[in-house]
Amino acid sequence: MEYHKGIMIYKGQFVYEPGEHEAETASNSYLMSLIAIIAGLPLPIINLIATLIFYIGNRKSTYFIRWHCTQALLSQLSVLFINSFGFWWTISIIFTEVSITSNYLAYIIAALLFNLTEFIATIYTAIQTRKGIHIEWWFYGNLTNLICKSKS
Amino acid sequence: MRKTLIQGVITILLFFGTWFVLKQIDWVKVFNVQKVTNKTEQKLGELLWAVFSKNEKENTSVYVVNSLDSIVTFICKANNIERLSKKVHILDNEDINAFALPNEQLIIFSGLILNSENQEELIGVICHEIAHTELNHVMKKLVKEIGLSVLLSMSAGNAGSEIIKETAKILSSSAYDRTLEKEADIKAVEYMVRAKINPEPFANFLYRQSAVGNNSPTDLTWISTHPDSKERAEYIIVHFKQSKLTDFKPILNKRTWEKLKDELKNSK
Repeated sequence: MEYHKGIMIYKGQFVYEPGEHEAETASNSYLMSLIAIIAGLPLPIINLIATLIFYIGNRKSTYFIRWHCTQALLSQLSVLFINSFGFWWTISIIFTEVSITSNYLAYIIAALLFNLTEFIATIYTAIQTRKGIHIEWWFYGNLTNLICKSKS
Repeated sequence: MRKTLIQGVITILLFFGTWFVLKQIDWVKVFNVQKVTNKTEQKLGELLWAVFSKNEKENTSVYVVNSLDSIVTFICKANNIERLSKKVHILDNEDINAFALPNEQLIIFSGLILNSENQEELIGVICHEIAHTELNHVMKKLVKEIGLSVLLSMSAGNAGSEIIKETAKILSSSAYDRTLEKEADIKAVEYMVRAKINPEPFANFLYRQSAVGNNSPTDLTWISTHPDSKERAEYIIVHFKQSKLTDFKPILNKRTWEKLKDELKNSK
């Protein structure tokens, strides 16, 4: 793999040149989470389920597709933890005696910042993978490399 | 593997670090998060006050009203609380009681004032009730105990007078849950410290009233509905000691305080 090193993202060529269909499906795995975010708000689990279904549907697909489906799924997992905590905190404020504090607002802002970063990174990756360019995210890329292996 | 692990830890730290840094800012003030006194709360406040004004005698003596007004205004000013939205009603009733109604209404029974040995005891109870209104405990309690749907139908004028009376009873003679009471107590100590009022008599008041218990000729509603008075007195003292405040100033002068009590005795 050839890489152009960025701060949080590695951009380069995959072990092989992905075909047109592969690039499209890989790109769709990211788009899936974006659409699900819009459709599933405010429930934080919808986008995870969407990417999980997409992952299961493509688990027997080519290496490039599997790799990107896995990265899309893993990236959703961490946001799920952040969002679930924020979601239940908000619910407890609405329905119980918990009141709005600066601590809560700071958490929500931090969660929004992470979601926004993830959102932008997902859009960027969806565009690049559509062109057949391989994108590895900070941490998630390495994690995907550990989980997703080439069958050949 | 190791690199991935390190990156994972950094990612987690980055999130908690961002949260920690953002926590240093007072977002509640930045976003001006204030209790929205909505129409439902306003309507409920009017309905519930109507129950008390119908069944109890409100003390409208200029001296009594002005004295209580001085106390509430002083506390609000010292704590940046909007004074105009707070309405104070003094009822001629021997019970030792005070409570908050929706729409930021404070109800104080003359029995509470007459049984307070000094103004600090009364101010402590008033601060506690202001804290309940400021922390939006009143509406939370009502939603929990009566349910939002009943409250909404009440405010829309579709509930019977029995339900409204029952709701009034819940607010005047039952406690908030333990965490809310503690929250209001601690907030009350903060209000008192900022207003340079000694919270120690407030703790003494709780301790004394809990010790008097059932032997008292008057109904100790405020104490009996607020459980663990001894425990409360203790954490009030602990919280106050942390403030290290030693310079105290009374709100009312001694003569005004005595005259206030005389006025209430005469209006019996």
